[in-house]
Order: sequence, then structure tokens, then C-alpha cells
Amino acid sequence: MLDVREIVTSYGMIRALKGVSLTAAPGEITCILGPNGAGKTTLLYTIAGILRPRSGSITFEGRELAGLSADRVVARGISLVPENRLVFPHMTVRENLIAGAYGRLPRGRREVDADLESLLTRFPLLGQRAQQPAGTLSGGEQQMLAVARALMARPRLLMMDEPSLGLAPMIVEQIFEIVERLNREGITVLLVEQNARLALGIAHRAYLLEQGRIALSGTAAEVGANDAVSRVYLGITGR
Amino acid sequence: MAEALLTPLQALLDGVMLGATYSLLGLGFTLVFGVLRRINLAFGATILVGIYAGSHWHLASGSRVVAMALTVAGAIAAGLYVERCALRPLASQPAVSSMIATFAVWMQLQEAVSLLSVSRTVPYPASAWMPSVEVGSLLIRADGLVMWSGAAVIMLALFLLLYRTRLGRAMRAVADSAEGAALMGVNVRAVGTAAFVMASAVGGAAGALIAGSQQQVTPYFGLWATVKGLTAMLLGGAGSLPGAVLGGLVLGVVETETLAHFGGQWRDLAAYALLLLVVSWRSRAARGRLAAAPSGRAALEDAL
Repeated sequence: MLDVREIVTSYGMIRALKGVSLTAAPGEITCILGPNGAGKTTLLYTIAGILRPRSGSITFEGRELAGLSADRVVARGISLVPENRLVFPHMTVRENLIAGAYGRLPRGRREVDADLESLLTRFPLLGQRAQQPAGTLSGGEQQMLAVARALMARPRLLMMDEPSLGLAPMIVEQIFEIVERLNREGITVLLVEQNARLALGIAHRAYLLEQGRIALSGTAAEVGANDAVSRVYLGITGR
Repeated sequence: MAEALLTPLQALLDGVMLGATYSLLGLGFTLVFGVLRRINLAFGATILVGIYAGSHWHLASGSRVVAMALTVAGAIAAGLYVERCALRPLASQPAVSSMIATFAVWMQLQEAVSLLSVSRTVPYPASAWMPSVEVGSLLIRADGLVMWSGAAVIMLALFLLLYRTRLGRAMRAVADSAEGAALMGVNVRAVGTAAFVMASAVGGAAGALIAGSQQQVTPYFGLWATVKGLTAMLLGGAGSLPGAVLGGLVLGVVETETLAHFGGQWRDLAAYALLLLVVSWRSRAARGRLAAAPSGRAALEDAL
């Protein structure tokens, strides 16, 4: 479904991604683990069209994505739930969701309205707060809003950047349940997460990104069983 | 106007009518500051260009409506020039760089207007088409009524645009989080240019209303409009659209009340004293909020 080949992305002189390749298979949850500064967010931003790769290719459903602008990438069916959520605090929950369907408007107005209503029913917490400014929501509710906002673009691939960041464990579990449910409904997920235990628990495949390179890849079970991963990311000390 | 007419109530009425145009100037600043995070010091000068264009058209042909339309068009054209010279090339630089650049363009526009104009002071066609009305002891000045109603219509249109249309929502989204908006597929740069054009159009309309009330304009109008607009925006909290409307009205009323009670020479002094008070009070309130919420607690609140 998504095929990233030898991507190099730089900030000025600094190469953040030094030839990264990975695949997200349709219907699966693929997670990317790695320490801070490994290039995880850079990778998602490059796929999303916010950053331009210096070289390499990104194909989605067989068509090239590299070099497309962010609005084109969204239109192709890829949405990103960004780190720190980045909801629009002064706009209402409803307006935030409509903003998620920006590229589908104004032509698909009726469909967008229908999607909006179904999401508000599906996430009753958001439904109750539809007219409230997003800035008044709690962190967990904002994360839920960020996910729902991304769904408004009707993505086939949902990318999520650190959805557990700054949230209480109980809320994190709820968010992960939502991700699993969306996946079961057919949305392919590419998940970047610091909480390796949780991520490996729901993922099918996993990649370990270190210093701009893929250090390890395999099924979630294989990567979880790796000595280095269990020591550093799962906090399991040797016997 | 006779001194006897300037009762506090009369001053309030005059202040609200005058203040509505300050609100428009404040909205122009707020649109650019909110969406682009930039302060355009040349805002007043772009309006000046529009007013001089309208004035010269009126001198040559006499059409009042065309002169007003040309004022708006001239302000938009000058605004686009400012954006090209002072904002777009410095988009990735710190905000202060482009603020200095807008100051340079301001001086450039002001000098250009002075050089190209037939005289330093130019006449502007009166906007009032009906006589002033007396209601009891109150005098409702016709030009004031035109300023107020014109400003009200423009504000209504602007708020409808910002809160009800796709472009307006995109602007508010960019103002809240440019990165978040980009991820939704919003072309942040195009929306920024649209906000700039919109601010210039609102400024030009405000200019036509103000010039139509004063009926003559000097090249210092640019300075005057920039100061009034900035003050209205800062009084309203820098970044809030309803705040800018309120800030403009408060500024207008403070000016006319001071005029009524203490005389015209104190008018601007009172306005700036108020600005200083509000700005220092607001920064103290902001410090208070920071002190009350240490980072640990903020993180905790975020988690819950």
C-alpha cells in the first residue's frame, strides 16, 4: 500500500533521514519505534508532503507521492494526526472537524455533513462538545478530536505521531482501542510511538528507526523479542 | 460644534460613531497579525495611497462612488506591493525583520504620495448625503452616522466571511495553528496573501469612510491610521477579532469623552495613557497566570 524507498530528507546541511525504506501493508498496523531525534516525525512529515525529500521515492497504491504538496497527499487518501495534536483551539469542535474535510469542500458539502454527523455520534464525547472551542477540551479529548479530524478526509492510510504523548494511561488505552477499531474497519495505520510496549501490542509489523536509518524490522513479535529492543524500549533487564 | 453640545452622552455617541472606524483599522491589523504573525506598519500608508487615488479621481471627474471604490482598490494594490516587498521575501525571517521592512515601505509610499500629488493636502468628497438629525438634545451627525453604519456593514460582512465560508475558516485555522492547517491541506501561503488583501480592503473602506467625514487629507494620514489601528488591536488583546472591534470603540469613546471634559489638547494623551495602562495590566495578568500554573501542574492538567 505505502512503499517508502531510500528516502533522504535534510534540514539545511543536516540529514535527518539517511535513506529510509519501509512498507505499510494494506489493512495492517505498522509501527515505527525509536528514540527522540531519530527522524520519526521527519519521516511522517515527508510522506505527508510538508517536507520534500532530497531523494528516494514514496509510492502509495502504486502512484508516486514524493514531491506532491500536502493538499494533494491528503486528497490521495493519507491523513496525519500530528504530534501534540495541533487542534485549532479557538475554533469549535465542529469547525475543527469541518477543517479536516477542507479538500473535499465545497463540492462534497452534503457528504461532509453526513460524515460529520456520524463522527459526532461515534465519538459521543465530541458530540456533546460540538459547539465548544477545542481549546477547552482535555488532552485526551483533543487527541480524540485530532483523530476524528483526520478521519474527515476519509483516509485509507492514517498516520499517527505519538498519540500517547502527555496523556494519562487510561486515556492512552482508549485512544489505542480507537486505533485498533479503525484498523479492523479497514484503515491502514502507520503509527509512531514512544510507548513501545503499547505500540507492539497492537501492531502487525514494526520498524526501529535510529539516527535516520532503519536499524531493525520485522513482525511486531520479532522486533519485540529482539534483545536490544527489549532492553532499551521495553525496559526489560537481562536475566 | 459648540461646547454646550458636548454633554457626556453626546460625546459617547460621537465616540461610538468615530470608534467604529478605529475598529475597522484594528481588524485590518488583527487579520495580518493573526494569520501571518506579522505587524504591518505600512498599513496606514497603503490606505493613504487609496485615499489619494480616490481624491484625484474625484478632482478630475467628480464621481463620488467611483472615488470611494478607487480608494479601496488603491489600498489593495498598495497592500499587495507591501506584501511583495516586505513580507514575502522575509517570510522565514524573524517577525521584527519584516516589521522594519514595512516601516521602510511606509516611508516610501508616503514620499511617493507627496511627490505625485497635486498638493500636500487634498480634498475628499463628503460621504454624508443627508443632513444631520437632532433627537432631543442629541445631535446625530450625518457623517458620523455614515461612518458608523458603513463600518457596521463591513464588519458584518467580514465576520460572515470569517465564520461561515471555507476561506474564512481556513484563515482562522492558520491563525490557530499554521502547521495543523497545512496538514489539513490548506495552502498556508495563499491564505496568508488572501488575509493581507482582505485587510487592505477593510483598511481602504475605513479610509474612504474617515476621509469622507474629514473631507481633506494630508500625507500624515498614514501615521494617524497606523497608530489608531495598532492601538485598537492592542487594546483588544492583539489577535482577537471581537477584541479589535471593542478596542476601536473604547478608543473612540475615550477620545471624545476627553475632548468633552478636558478639551481637545488632551485627547490623544488620554488615549495613549489608556493604552499603556491596558498593556501593562495585561502583561501583569499574563505573568500571574504563569506563576499560578507551574509546568508540572500544567502537564497534569493536560493529562486529565
